[in-house]
Amino acid sequence: MMPDQKPEQFSKAKNSPSSPRIGLFVTCLVDLFRPNVGFAAIKLLEDAGCEVFIPKSQTCCGQPALNSGDVENTKTIARQVIEHFESYDYVIVPSGSCGGTIRTHYPEILADDPEWTERAAVFSSKVFELISFLTDIRGISTVQARCEATATYHDSCSGLRELGIKQQPRRLLFSVEGLTLREMDKAENCCGFGGTFSIKYPDISNAIVSEKTEAIKESGADLLLGGDLGCLMNIAGKQSRQGQKVRAMHVAEILANMSDGLAIGEED
Amino acid sequence: MSLARKQIMGNISVALAHREKADEHSIDQEAVKLLTSFEPELPGLSIADVVEAFYTRTSGPKVGASITRISSMEELIDTVAGVLSEKGLVNKIALQPDRALVDLDWGQSGFQLGKEVDDGVVVGIARWGIAETGSLVFHSASDMPVLFNFLPSFHIVAVRASTIVPYLESYANAANIAGDPTPRNVCLVTGASGTTDIEGVLVTGAHGPRELHIILIDDTNQIVGTYDEN
Amino acid sequence: MTAIESTFKKRAQAAVANKTLKAAIERTASTAEKKRAIAIAELPDFSNMRSCAKRIKDHVIANLDHYLETFERNAVASGAKVHWARTAEEASHIAVDICKMAKAKRVTRSKSMLGEEIGLPHALELAGIECVETDLAEHIVQLAGERPSHIVWPAMHKSREEIFSLFKSKHEKPPVSEEIADLVLSARRDLRQKFLTADVGISGANFLIADTGAVCVVTNEGNAELTTTPPKVHIVTAGIEKLVPSIEHAFVLLRLLVRSATGADITQYTTFHCGPKRPNDADGPEEFHIILVDNGRTQMLADGMEEMLRCIRCGACMNHCVVYRQVGGHAYGGTYPGPMGAVLTPVFDGLKQSRDLPHACTLNGRCAEVCPVGIPLPTLLRQLRSRSWRSGYEPWLTKANVSVWAQFAKRPKLYHAVSKIASKVIRLFQKNGRIRWMPLAGNWTRHRDLPAPASRSFMQLQRSRHKENGS
Repeated sequence: MMPDQKPEQFSKAKNSPSSPRIGLFVTCLVDLFRPNVGFAAIKLLEDAGCEVFIPKSQTCCGQPALNSGDVENTKTIARQVIEHFESYDYVIVPSGSCGGTIRTHYPEILADDPEWTERAAVFSSKVFELISFLTDIRGISTVQARCEATATYHDSCSGLRELGIKQQPRRLLFSVEGLTLREMDKAENCCGFGGTFSIKYPDISNAIVSEKTEAIKESGADLLLGGDLGCLMNIAGKQSRQGQKVRAMHVAEILANMSDGLAIGEED
Repeated sequence: MSLARKQIMGNISVALAHREKADEHSIDQEAVKLLTSFEPELPGLSIADVVEAFYTRTSGPKVGASITRISSMEELIDTVAGVLSEKGLVNKIALQPDRALVDLDWGQSGFQLGKEVDDGVVVGIARWGIAETGSLVFHSASDMPVLFNFLPSFHIVAVRASTIVPYLESYANAANIAGDPTPRNVCLVTGASGTTDIEGVLVTGAHGPRELHIILIDDTNQIVGTYDEN
Repeated sequence: MTAIESTFKKRAQAAVANKTLKAAIERTASTAEKKRAIAIAELPDFSNMRSCAKRIKDHVIANLDHYLETFERNAVASGAKVHWARTAEEASHIAVDICKMAKAKRVTRSKSMLGEEIGLPHALELAGIECVETDLAEHIVQLAGERPSHIVWPAMHKSREEIFSLFKSKHEKPPVSEEIADLVLSARRDLRQKFLTADVGISGANFLIADTGAVCVVTNEGNAELTTTPPKVHIVTAGIEKLVPSIEHAFVLLRLLVRSATGADITQYTTFHCGPKRPNDADGPEEFHIILVDNGRTQMLADGMEEMLRCIRCGACMNHCVVYRQVGGHAYGGTYPGPMGAVLTPVFDGLKQSRDLPHACTLNGRCAEVCPVGIPLPTLLRQLRSRSWRSGYEPWLTKANVSVWAQFAKRPKLYHAVSKIASKVIRLFQKNGRIRWMPLAGNWTRHRDLPAPASRSFMQLQRSRHKENGS
């Protein structure tokens, strides 16, 4: 249990007083399945001169409810996220789809609530996906990292189409020593995850992800990178079932030079 | 007024009750504004000269036609004869009953004029040509049967350089300026009949003409429905 | 409660297992995708052109009553007879009545999705009138006794071999080989006489031109004009959303329609029909009827789904849809498949019956990205999902799962406590960091492994690191 609900400040060495204060929304999947992504995010943000806080009261952005059509519960969750995060200068999310939900869909679903319309709009303008925040807002163009691998990058749909994330991760990956980036065919094609879609239509989802793993295999890469843990778990899960040897990691882990650990789905 | 009409219109006015209903004049003005103030950049013509652009377009891969250029109407008969002989076809044609074609002396050159258009050769003349798409425009009338564009196997069409306009919109404008009466049927023909319905493979001669040959008459010295951009 | 759901699921499952179908869809859809990309890239500014097209459609929809009245007035002045139909049944009833009045024995029809939507082929058959589909793909589908599987390529699901054996058994002079050119020729032979002997020709409309009362129809085969010119009567069936102010507005939309559909710059034949044959005309129908069909469209306008009325039926959304590419059009069960069908079918057939379709989507947004009139399809699909939720159409198990999960998500302390326990339980099933099977996760683990949850969550870890740091 959480003893208190005071947000934990993570920054060891304080950046200057003018450093933006960041509320890190780690996302439920990172929290449970891949904590390393959260720590990578903290490192990248601190390196970019930010002060990072982690509100303890965070759970999930509400996507499962939103995509199921349960607007009422989504609204409650949205209001809760806004309340807990709106005091920060920026809210950073290491996921395109959670970032997209908070930035794009919160204002939409709260549009008919006069008390919250304005508040949601102001809030959403402070919400960014991690990598695009580093490049577009903080002006970061290189990182200090090393990773001996041939990587291929999967463009997750929400990040790509709701938030315009395409070149940002590639630009930063370019500065990673030892890393070669090799594009797969149709990198922009959906991997078939779609959140609850993968559970509602397992066979269709499987057919789609099988094309994705095939494209990854064809690319000759030995490392799959992406900005969304949901997609990565879907693709890595399929690769593991197919007995493929391609490892999968979140792009933040590579950029933060935290790629020496286990990949997704490897034993810890 | 039918009950159905009344209900549909009723549903619309209920559904649109929130809007401020504009008068007809301002709706029309807004419609015009949609074309002028947001005018999208049109697809570029390959060459500034409209006739050259039309020629490039129709002789290129996108239209799927063949084209010959001649300098006057007098050369038309010989040109048609040449096109037919190249295809190994006899000089048996059906003529679109347009004065410009009918008045030529086809018999003199050994042409057999028939009424059979079904799967035969038709020689026609387009009212306009559009450079952007390489389209030929036909206006139905007593001298332009619609089916002449669709029944033949081989469609040969003359078009005057003076009637070639740059864009689809310029055609509408030019027809207005030239005072063309609004025809019952306007047909833009762009290439031969084709289909990709089986396995996505293009095959010509689906239902209409298998081939289209255009004869471009460079008459720009003469004044025949000349189109002026302004 | 889930009768249609199970049939959709079954159809989709069967389609996914059908490798021949997959190959057939891939062949045409991937070509269409590539050709569209080239055509769009050649435009100086696609997004500007698209926003212009979108504004035109929105302007018409916002003034739909005005444009319907204007169109009707001008069409009537040109000698056309304008009919109004509230429902699919009413529309096909009017069309059948016109055919009966003309004592029609044979009717030719050029492809119109609206005709399919209102069940016109079936209504004609019931009335004992021979209905000949003249679009090559519709001809194939008709001979096979099937329904279209795509709105631009209705026979996309059929291979040349299947078409060869179909034509061999149905054409009087059958094709001699499986060569596609030979198959096309065989259909040309079979249909030519039917064109010339039909009593009524029925077409759809790509655009209704308000200021002249003209009807624009586009084809590549030329079958529309051969359908509508020789018979005494031409009937147009058109949705009321097809209106545009003028021919210039139609041209803006036409450029995008053709590029988005096939990747060409224009269709081979683009025809504007304005009224019946005039005294001096060389040919043309003596009667010209236009049936304006509502069938749920004014309801869409009232229900906040007016953006869907922009749709110009190009099929780009389905060509680019990962789900459509796996299951094909028939799985959707309605007239319109793919993303646009997943929005329209619930309108036409009722959301209760087709609640599954809006869920058959990963919300990846590709459809909206390629839509030439900027329809926010994922947003509309989400809207239908929430309407279905509110109306109580969602299965109780789904509702129960989401509600229970939401109770946790709304209570952070409880959430973290429960997820800590859940992680521990789930980890019991892991081997080498992966879970190959686990109770309640069968739909995931049927096809792929589940990476095991971390032994300690981020929240736990960061608290302990935080303490170590002593800050």
